[in-house]
Amino acid sequence: MTDSVVPDYNLEIYGEPCPYPAVATLEAMTSLKSGEVLEVITDCSQSINNIPSDAKNHGYEVLDISQQGVMLRYLIRR
Amino acid sequence: MWLTFKNKFFVQFWSPFAAVIAAGILSTYFFGLTGSLWAVTGEFTRWGGHIMQWFGAEPESWQYFKIIGLEGTPLDRVGGVMIIGMFGGCLAAVLWANNMKLRMPSSKKRIAQALIGGMIAGFGARLAMGCNLAAFFTGIPQFTLHAWLFAFAAAAGTYLGAKITLLPFFRSTATIKPGALKKVIKRNPNQEKARFILGSLVFTAIVIASFYMMIHSTKLGIAMLMGVIFGLLIERAQICFTSAFRDMWITGRTHMAKAIILGMAVSTIGIYSYVQLGMTPKTLWAGPNAVIGGLLFGIGIVIAGGCETGWMYRALEGQVHFWWVGIGNIVGATILAYYWDTFSAPLATNWDKVNLLDVFGPLGGLGMTYLLLGLSFILILLWERHFFNKQRSVQNLATVQVAPQQSAVNVMANVR
Repeated sequence: MTDSVVPDYNLEIYGEPCPYPAVATLEAMTSLKSGEVLEVITDCSQSINNIPSDAKNHGYEVLDISQQGVMLRYLIRR
Repeated sequence: MWLTFKNKFFVQFWSPFAAVIAAGILSTYFFGLTGSLWAVTGEFTRWGGHIMQWFGAEPESWQYFKIIGLEGTPLDRVGGVMIIGMFGGCLAAVLWANNMKLRMPSSKKRIAQALIGGMIAGFGARLAMGCNLAAFFTGIPQFTLHAWLFAFAAAAGTYLGAKITLLPFFRSTATIKPGALKKVIKRNPNQEKARFILGSLVFTAIVIASFYMMIHSTKLGIAMLMGVIFGLLIERAQICFTSAFRDMWITGRTHMAKAIILGMAVSTIGIYSYVQLGMTPKTLWAGPNAVIGGLLFGIGIVIAGGCETGWMYRALEGQVHFWWVGIGNIVGATILAYYWDTFSAPLATNWDKVNLLDVFGPLGGLGMTYLLLGLSFILILLWERHFFNKQRSVQNLATVQVAPQQSAVNVMANVR
């Protein structure tokens, strides 16, 4: 677990279908400075197959993925 | 031990890559054992037909239902029991992972998207005589040319759909806020446990029902049982054919598309061997219907956010958005069935049913299919390279233009 990492920003997306959670995450990432961390919380189960790999493909570092019931939480560093 | 096992297999999502290939193998055996394709839209159309019957209409006299058949109830048909099995498998999977919660659409806009997108997709799929399954994933391994026409048209359709979906009007209103989220997501161990038991009960019940069905009819029982496994696979791995197409265009992700091509490659040789043993492949008209249907289907699934296979498990997860997609699909398919007679001859039935095994001979047709699959794979790789090269040049441009001291909020505004 990466409890030690304190996110600089957070993004909550509820009730939205794909592709919106992934698109909003990627757009948000472009506004971060290098080294800053974004916390994404969503109830879109399908985001498990897009947010982490999209973040990696776009050159960001996925620090943590956690799943609690329907909630998914991603920590991504620019 | 048990907890780790439970967490790994019943709670955490499975690798979609492996699951798609498993679905390819399973769908091949499904064909061998039941003589039918793994498909869902035809059966959903029949459900639309049954609903029309309740209201006094006589859809059984419509030409379209004469082609796809509307005898008996879903329990008498391979497609019907397979879908019931799939719903059972999805439901068990959702309960095991405690992944069920009523999730309301974020706006009325989304409901409209779900309903209209679902209708366009349902209409298009039935025009082409199949969705992502029968006209693509399980269609291409049948060597029917119409599946290739559909696949390329659907790819183009999803590109258009992606452009529409990303119009500012449809964008998500979620915005980033500074700092960590204060809210802590609480666990609910009692609910987790209760749902796990309920999921196990659902699973046991649907498996027993499948065995009971086998006494009545071996073929139907096997179809139902395999439906359960298909259901588990698509929910546990969140298999999404829509994302395979759409996300190539939107985020440059090609993982799922590659997996689907490999899944079809695995299935192709299996179907080939069944055909060599004497089974007849399912071949459909290679007419404009496949192209127009594929294009509409592609646009529709992206606007809706999911296809016929995709809405099934999302609906059971409690994503209300996909209840609307499901309703839209059945309505769209029923509209197509109603108007079929007026355009079926020029668009479909006057055209030949072309099978690559007949055109190029058995080995030639097999080789042609692998050649086309290989070419598609290369096209995907080239697109991926093009996408990220383009993106890098855009980013380089942006870093020059944006002064480093600008705050995050300002940059955000620039991006928008």
